[in-house]
Amino acid sequence: MNEQGLSLDELVARDRDHDCEGYGPERVCVRIVGVADLPTRFGPFRIVAFWNNRDGKEHVAIVRGEVSGAQSVATRLHSECLTGDAIGSLRCDCRDQLETALRRVGQQEKGILLYLRQEGRGIGLINKVRAYALQDKGLDTVEANLALGFRDDERDYAIAAHMLGSLRVGSVQLMTNNPAKIRQLTQYGVQVDGRLPHVIPPNEHNRFYLETKAGRSGHWIDLAGKAHLPEQSDPTVVEGMNEED
Amino acid sequence: MRPDTLVIGAGVAGLSCARELALAGRRVVLLERAAGVGGRCATRRVEDQAVDHGVVFLHGASADFAQALAAVEEGGPLPGWPLRLKGSGRPCQDTAFSPGAFRLAYRRGISAFPKHLARDLDLRLRAPVAHLEAGPGVIRVATGGEGPREAPEIVLALALEQARSLLRTLVLPAGTEAAREIAGADGLLAMVGTLPCLTVLAGYPQGAPPPAWDVLYPEGSRILQLVAHDSAKRRDPRRLVLVAQAHPCWSREHQDWPADEWSVEILAELGRLLGSWAAAPDWNFAHRWRHARVDRGGELRRPLMLRLPGGATIGVTGEAFHPGGGVEGAWRAGREMARRLQGEER
Repeated sequence: MNEQGLSLDELVARDRDHDCEGYGPERVCVRIVGVADLPTRFGPFRIVAFWNNRDGKEHVAIVRGEVSGAQSVATRLHSECLTGDAIGSLRCDCRDQLETALRRVGQQEKGILLYLRQEGRGIGLINKVRAYALQDKGLDTVEANLALGFRDDERDYAIAAHMLGSLRVGSVQLMTNNPAKIRQLTQYGVQVDGRLPHVIPPNEHNRFYLETKAGRSGHWIDLAGKAHLPEQSDPTVVEGMNEED
Repeated sequence: MRPDTLVIGAGVAGLSCARELALAGRRVVLLERAAGVGGRCATRRVEDQAVDHGVVFLHGASADFAQALAAVEEGGPLPGWPLRLKGSGRPCQDTAFSPGAFRLAYRRGISAFPKHLARDLDLRLRAPVAHLEAGPGVIRVATGGEGPREAPEIVLALALEQARSLLRTLVLPAGTEAAREIAGADGLLAMVGTLPCLTVLAGYPQGAPPPAWDVLYPEGSRILQLVAHDSAKRRDPRRLVLVAQAHPCWSREHQDWPADEWSVEILAELGRLLGSWAAAPDWNFAHRWRHARVDRGGELRRPLMLRLPGGATIGVTGEAFHPGGGVEGAWRAGREMARRLQGEER
């Protein structure tokens, strides 16, 4: 059966009784359960809602064009960050990264942004606030962050890989500054044709990236003295910044 | 011979950690301030009848924990207990009654589980630890009754507040990585609080009507979170025994009162809920659990492992160091601690 070129609506019907072995050690399985138009200030998209059998979270894909069967689709993985994405927090660069990604996907004929509901890379909002509280006390300690759950989590990629598989994407160009992400996705069978550096434009809130260097434990300290946690598992690159730093 | 690891606290987390390390061939000594093991998995005998005055029943959702509990044959497992529930109040842990969860108690008392974990371990009872000191490659602990001891690794398997105050006795050179890590751990532990639980055990005259439930979660009681029909767990109980446990916030408000004053209020509430007979037992005992449990949702993801200059290591574990907490969380956090100490990251 040739499933290439199915429309997003047809994928909902296809997934109605989808039940596979699952991806990754946790055997994550996702289903496309809803699709709708989503006009945004970054252009028109469609939003694809997923159900999954593991974390009870409602992950979504923001899609431009017919991506089913398409090759080299520009793709960005974004992890939910309530404080940055919605509130405009300056303790991270998530909002800049999200807006840049949506703007870039919006300029393509085909593109995808996976919005993964794993607040603070899966540690949850409570523990993220606790990590911020530790930083407020001037503490940025490895063990404390690990106990709060800060570490790379391969399940992120298993869910993302299955989502891309469900969308029947032929191959992707990943918008990332983290080559490890490409390796992880490839492990789960996603064909990655290349990497598009994810460079955010400079603004008054991120210019410290251009003027200073990463401090202790690789964190950037902003002009207000707050450390920036790498919440997107993706190093921040601001236009004009030396990527080696 | 000097042990490889000193585990401080013989509750379920400390016991499961010590057990895992001992099975891996380590020399482990377990120090416990009380006269018995188990911490909050506590059973006492009143008139030769077992009474569980801490954890009322055990529950979990995974096969390996179920196996560990079922292995305690000498305890006389009561699978499924409590079978008869009454009331629509909130249980201490919502997950206890989730689909897929199992529940269990023991005829001989909840402490059968920690006693089972403690078998063949090098255990020193009545050995409270007051002080930690960093030496070259070792940590020395000052114990009451036992004299000082030292080991290259120590594990604190205590209530968070107790672990925190012990960590604070350590003196480390300011500005070092280790001092920062200890300060970070201190700040972290301060964020995760424990909840108190004031408890009354009550024994009733022969002929008192046994309730038709195993556990009551009263709705609309400001004072009581649960009443356990403890004697329903025993074979041929001599008496009807109830265990009443108060809500965390009521416990917090009253925990510094004299015990006879708050226990009277708990008995009066029992009378209001069950009938006036319940307010007048033949005997009652009050127990103040200052650190009964970690508030749900507040747990950390994994145990802490802090390295000191010179190579010594301090581990911190317990219920709070596994998502979900509870006895299962404590058991898992102990094993996870042992694995981390052996350098096996999950």
